[in-house]
Amino acid sequence: MTTTPVTAQTDSTEGVAKFSVRGLDFYYGDFHALTGITIDVAENAVTAFIGPSGCGKSTFLRCLNRMNDLIPGTRIEGRITLDGADIYGPGVDPVDLRRRVGMIFQQPNPFPMSIYDNVAFGPRLHGVKKKEELDGIVEQALVRANLWKEVKDIMGRGGLTLSGGQQQRLCIARVLAVQPDVLLMDEPCSAIDPTSVQKVEDLMAELKSSVTIIIVTHNMQQAARVSDETAFFLQERQGEPAELIEFARTAEIFTSPHDRRTEDYITGRFG
Amino acid sequence: MRENYRNELKAIKAEVVDIGRLVIEMSRDATVSLVEGDVDLAERVITADDDLDTRTLALEERTLETIATQFPVARDLRLLYSLAHINIHMERMGDLAVNIAKATRRTAERTGPRTLYDLIRAQGNLVHRVLEAMLEAFETSDLELAYKLEEMDEPIDHLFKQFFRELSRLQEEEEIEWASSMVLASRYLERIADHAVDIGERLVYMVTGEFEAFDESFGDEGESPAS
Repeated sequence: MTTTPVTAQTDSTEGVAKFSVRGLDFYYGDFHALTGITIDVAENAVTAFIGPSGCGKSTFLRCLNRMNDLIPGTRIEGRITLDGADIYGPGVDPVDLRRRVGMIFQQPNPFPMSIYDNVAFGPRLHGVKKKEELDGIVEQALVRANLWKEVKDIMGRGGLTLSGGQQQRLCIARVLAVQPDVLLMDEPCSAIDPTSVQKVEDLMAELKSSVTIIIVTHNMQQAARVSDETAFFLQERQGEPAELIEFARTAEIFTSPHDRRTEDYITGRFG
Repeated sequence: MRENYRNELKAIKAEVVDIGRLVIEMSRDATVSLVEGDVDLAERVITADDDLDTRTLALEERTLETIATQFPVARDLRLLYSLAHINIHMERMGDLAVNIAKATRRTAERTGPRTLYDLIRAQGNLVHRVLEAMLEAFETSDLELAYKLEEMDEPIDHLFKQFFRELSRLQEEEEIEWASSMVLASRYLERIADHAVDIGERLVYMVTGEFEAFDESFGDEGESPAS
């Protein structure tokens, strides 16, 4: 029986590890939020993080592109490498890291500007000036985000005029326009309609050949549908840090999980 | 959490246990009808199979609906998936009992050698033991008992082979006609026990998540019965 995360992770990752996390602990000031996280996230695959509210999965996700750095008083122990390089190492520019490791949030957050300018924002920031080149980048990003057909004739319209689901795909296009290696998605489908959910799930399947995707989701059917591997996080007792309980192939987690706590959670016995 | 769903899973499992009881009864009655030449009892077995078919079909629909609407995973998924298989085994065991009952129709007016009656009776008793053990293992998720099913099945296969050997010694045409119905019945009994062993394998998967085929060296369908 595999019960420890360390053993679990060695079973699961089949391809090359994009992220390697070893013995990660995370603190919000005095509050010890995560402990002993060791996991290898496979490259060009979809990895799902699941667990009850407050189990630290979003906190952990934000460690992967140093978004937590923006919250005062936070600190980490342990090591996270991206393609073998320590992302918390000296000389790492968090802004550059966040370009490589893009993020999609629960609430779509387009900028108050046109659809075109939303997608062109990142490339312009990185110095792309030629209109032709920008046009190509914008179109390609919108195609990859499954949105191009719906917006190609209304590119000058404000991003905020789109429906919620379209706005979410616009945000995905905005991230894709800067060619990230990794896409972190923090409950990207919680606030959008079912048709858009389907489109986002479809685009995840299409994108994963070129982008490593990590998704936090409360919807276990979604985790089962979209991901290759699943990690289950749990805070067992109030006041104690959350842990990675089990990490394995998604098909295995949803048919024969090794840990009783995983099984109890995914079968709806708690949480 | 998910009380209605949990209750439905329990209810589905309980229905499979009930169906199992019906199958055991049918199998036992069919064997008794054959040995005693009791045509009325044989007819009751044949009628009971209509009830069995209705119930196994209803259970199949209920299982499918639960899968479609409740998105079972992990042990719940393994339970429903296994129950669907076990349900099919139960339905087939019922059909085999009906075949034995039909053999009663053909043989009741005649008699054959005592030895063959004794063999069928002994085989029927052993099959009954296997079925009871199978149902108990299923009801209580007793894997130790599930693993014993294969071992319990061995003498049933041996008796079938012995039956075949006895049959080849018969000389008179009338006896041979009678005995060929009886040898089929012996084969049906042996198959009923094989289904019970298969249910044992399903049970192991249901509980552990591991597919495991029991040793089938004695229950091989392709093996010649005279060998």
